Amino acid sequence: MELTRRNFLKSSVAASAAAAVGVPVSKSSIAQAAEAEKDWQWDKSVCRFCGTGCGIMVATKDGRIMATKGDPDAPVNRGLNCIKGYFNGKIMYGKDRLTQPLMRMKDGRFHKEGKFHPVTWEQAFDEMAVRFKKTYGELGPHGVAIFGSGQYTIPEGYVSAKLMKAGFRSNNIDPNARHCMASAVVAFIQTFGIDEPAGTYDDIEHTDTVVTWGANMAECHPILWARVSDRRLSSDNTRIVNLTTYGNQSSDIADAEIVFKPGTDLAIMNYLAREAIARDAVNHEFVDKHCVFATGPYDIGYGMRPTDEYAFEAEKDIQAKELEVTLDKYEAIAQRKEPGTRVKQNNTAAPVKHWQISFDDFKKGLDPYTLDFVAELSKGDPDETLESHKKKLEQLADLYLEKDRKVVTFWTMGFNQHYRGSWVNEQAYMLHLLLGKQSMPGNGAFSLTGQPSACGTAREVGTFAHRLPADMVVGNPKHRERAEKIWKLPPNTLNPKTGSHITKIMRDLEDGSVKWAWVQVNNPFQATANANHWITAARKQDNFLVVSEAYPTVSAKVADLILPTAMIFEKWGLYGNAERRTQGWREQVPPPGEAMGDVWQGLEFAKRFRLKEVWGEQPLPGLKAEGFEDGSLPDVLAAAAKMGYSPEDTLYDVLFATPENRKVAWPDAAVAKGHGNHIAERLGDGWFPEKALFNEYRVFGLDYHHDLADFDTYMRDDVRGLKWPVIDGKETEWRFNEEYDPYVPKGAGFAFYGKALKATPTGDLDGVTSAEKKPLPDKAKIFFRPYAAPPEQPDDNYDLWLATGRVLEHWHTGTMTRRVPELHRAVPTAQLYMHPEDAKARGLKRNDVAWIESRRGRIKAVVETQGRNRTPRGYTFLPFFDEGVFANKVCIDMTCPMSKETDFKKAAVKVYKV
Amino acid sequence: MSSTRRDFLIKSAQAAALAVTGGLVWAYLLKQQANAAAYAIRPPGARMADDFNARCIKCGQCVRACPFDTLRLAHSAETIPIGTPYFVPRDIPCYMCEDIPCMNACPTGALDPGLEDIADARMGQAVIDIENCLSWQGLRCEICHRECPLTDKAITVEHHPRRISRHAMFVPLVHSDACTGCGICEKACPTEVAAIRVVQPELVRGRIGEHYRLGWKNAAGITEDFDAGRAKAGSPAAPTGLDYLNEGEP
Repeated sequence: MELTRRNFLKSSVAASAAAAVGVPVSKSSIAQAAEAEKDWQWDKSVCRFCGTGCGIMVATKDGRIMATKGDPDAPVNRGLNCIKGYFNGKIMYGKDRLTQPLMRMKDGRFHKEGKFHPVTWEQAFDEMAVRFKKTYGELGPHGVAIFGSGQYTIPEGYVSAKLMKAGFRSNNIDPNARHCMASAVVAFIQTFGIDEPAGTYDDIEHTDTVVTWGANMAECHPILWARVSDRRLSSDNTRIVNLTTYGNQSSDIADAEIVFKPGTDLAIMNYLAREAIARDAVNHEFVDKHCVFATGPYDIGYGMRPTDEYAFEAEKDIQAKELEVTLDKYEAIAQRKEPGTRVKQNNTAAPVKHWQISFDDFKKGLDPYTLDFVAELSKGDPDETLESHKKKLEQLADLYLEKDRKVVTFWTMGFNQHYRGSWVNEQAYMLHLLLGKQSMPGNGAFSLTGQPSACGTAREVGTFAHRLPADMVVGNPKHRERAEKIWKLPPNTLNPKTGSHITKIMRDLEDGSVKWAWVQVNNPFQATANANHWITAARKQDNFLVVSEAYPTVSAKVADLILPTAMIFEKWGLYGNAERRTQGWREQVPPPGEAMGDVWQGLEFAKRFRLKEVWGEQPLPGLKAEGFEDGSLPDVLAAAAKMGYSPEDTLYDVLFATPENRKVAWPDAAVAKGHGNHIAERLGDGWFPEKALFNEYRVFGLDYHHDLADFDTYMRDDVRGLKWPVIDGKETEWRFNEEYDPYVPKGAGFAFYGKALKATPTGDLDGVTSAEKKPLPDKAKIFFRPYAAPPEQPDDNYDLWLATGRVLEHWHTGTMTRRVPELHRAVPTAQLYMHPEDAKARGLKRNDVAWIESRRGRIKAVVETQGRNRTPRGYTFLPFFDEGVFANKVCIDMTCPMSKETDFKKAAVKVYKV
Repeated sequence: MSSTRRDFLIKSAQAAALAVTGGLVWAYLLKQQANAAAYAIRPPGARMADDFNARCIKCGQCVRACPFDTLRLAHSAETIPIGTPYFVPRDIPCYMCEDIPCMNACPTGALDPGLEDIADARMGQAVIDIENCLSWQGLRCEICHRECPLTDKAITVEHHPRRISRHAMFVPLVHSDACTGCGICEKACPTEVAAIRVVQPELVRGRIGEHYRLGWKNAAGITEDFDAGRAKAGSPAAPTGLDYLNEGEP
């Protein structure tokens, strides 16, 4: 035998099927196997799923993905994948892949009550535009909306954001990433003046201590957790602590698991800060040089509606807390007030305002957070003794405060999806800044993201209701002016009024203030809490809902028009992961049937609008901004004419296929290297939209703290992503640190140079004492934020906590992973994890089907009392991937009032036998 | 074992086989035993179950040729087809003769003469019960690793931190791409009941999906001059997903 068996097994899986049953192999079958793979074509790409951002390699043949592998050259994962990543090659081949536009029809015409029938793209866009123009004429720019995504490629997010903000002059575009990391963003902006982590994943290999808070990394960032675990195994001094509300897989390798009561993370953080001061562990040199202290109002509500007009009867008691709350014992002590005090929520309209305070005030704020107080408040497992919990908190403080011990704090949805998510994020920086353990290798508070391009697209491109690219915001006249200049728009084209956040778009559909919406790269009707309201709203007579999708989902089912959409390897794209790494890939295979990429859908739709339809005067109820008439956007057509635009020009020509962009030609042999581009080819006008638009977008960040490399660089064979800012072709490892970050002035050591919110009033713990804005250049803010109680907590009727979240095997609402037969076989349904005694007390046992009922709805799920999640008594966990269970029908749509990010972790439910 | 006794055992097994030979009865019995045959550890070169059963004439030549008395013929009381050769590694493993006398003795090719190197034999697959393997508990045993005729290929040892003390654990792992299933490890295993056993691979071995390669083993890099022209996607005749979209409540 010429080939050894070892070589043979590597050469072919097909042949190894024979080898596995012990048949001596023939030379001819070896040759066949090698022949089968000979004409596979390989290229680099990126995993479709989480925010970790693993590199993969994709093999194709005859327009089909044959295989994938982890990219051994990708620094994030070095060839590894998790079990979702393993199935990247299969997600596009579900049997019910949508391949033709589908519209609700009766008698050959669109009809809200009709059944879905196939239509042409022409018919689809015609109806879509007619409905858009009707609503736009009636309600103005904020009567339409886009549900965007943290899974958009960068060019996709850019097309949608520019079309909405510059074309339609609407800020009603908001991504599902709002549900994922908006709280992280608020804390970054308020603390550092610039978004996204200072550190990189390389912190893991540099640190001595990993503390996870509300982050089940073992399941939700599996490959990063493999790095954390390796660090723990290969260094005796390394410690891992998992702070969580229930025992999970991340506890398995941890040195300590601290189970706390939902919401009391706020108190534990303050205990740690109080200890830092009490034990003299504060790094005063660092704090004095690089930080100031700050706080803000407490009476900011819970992001619920201010009215109960649309509430179900059962929801009204909790909704009333949006206006006024009565402080319980702990909340009163934590906020230095009397128990039973009724507090009107006076700052719901401006929850983000804040002011500088003195160190003494900061210290005074922390005063109530003694070990005794915090331990009693925060103990989350009724079966653990107070002494044991107390001891663990002390050990946690020991680890954080040990002088030369490096510490990385990781968190995800436990912090972000929190009724005080922005506060608790800020507290993580509070602690690290106090200790001087920030922005250096192995030391830092590190906010992980959930989605593959929540950073790269949603945040950096700015597909939010208040954002523009490169951390700019629509409410800032200078930012609008800069954007108008880069985009070549007449002054005051951009709308200064923040649009609706994603949950508010749902509420707007319900109350009729939005009547046309387009869902892109997400499944909001399954993913938004309190879903019963929104499903009903979608089917209202005068709403028109467009859903771009690859598969029939809940959102598609409630739509009026479904646009079949290309998936990841069927298009060119770039994603940006949680460590600021931007990674690009080429189109590997064409989309099936009539499916088309989101970029093309945006560009085609733009062709149907002329400037005269959108750049004239537009009604904008509620607009109040300097330089604008109240309630309307100005007519900018005259100014546009001076810039050479005609009122008859289309948005396609003015915003996208500009003379500059048309110079970026397709085909582009040097970059494409033989790969196709179904979008450029279908447009057929000779330009390369993804490349042209990426390079146009890139201008926003240059010399503006957000420098990206050019498109071609990311596509190079020898580049596996680069961490921005990329300056002189070099990526940046640790931001704000002179040693690594070229933006830090020489000799400064550190500079928290973000430009946002860098001058504030001053005051004390109770409010502003001087409105004069005091600048704080290059400094970070250390916030005091108190403990606040969750507005909905278990009571006699709804007597259990319920949190929703992920499992490793499924991605979000399961649109892709539930169509991979192997993943579906492994985890076919979402189970309700509960404590065996809680089950027993309700006459339930493992594998029984139970009702789960909240104030908002009732669903059924199978009870699981053992396995991967170990919930304490009184607590339940239910994954949200399964539309058959539909966890979000019972979850509450309260949000962090600052970030507007939903708290998916703290609903009160009752569970009973079916 | 004396050659007389060996001959006796061979003959009695053949007699048992002959006793039930007769048209339909024999075919029925083969069917019944086909499932049980999965458990048998066959001599080197043995073909897949059906093929092997069809070719093996239960002549006992392989058993006679085995210099170690490893091979036996199945008796009626055993759960594999009567009269066919097999071995029990914990009693006598295959010592992997270079000249493969058993295979060369086979007159029908039930033991495939295409097997040229005994290291390519796939008699079975060793698997470790890691709960009862001493090395996996941290004891310094690794006898299987050291005794394995293909040591460092079929069985390797990895060093894992033990965590509860400052010692590494020396953990044996079996590699199916090299393991012949000879059973020397099972024979040598020092636990009361062997913690490493040879079984038929199809009983234990999984298979990675055809859609995936291990990135650090598969050497293919980025294809220069990709040919997108070969990619043609057709539109399916009927729209999909309509049943779900048009029926029932969300």
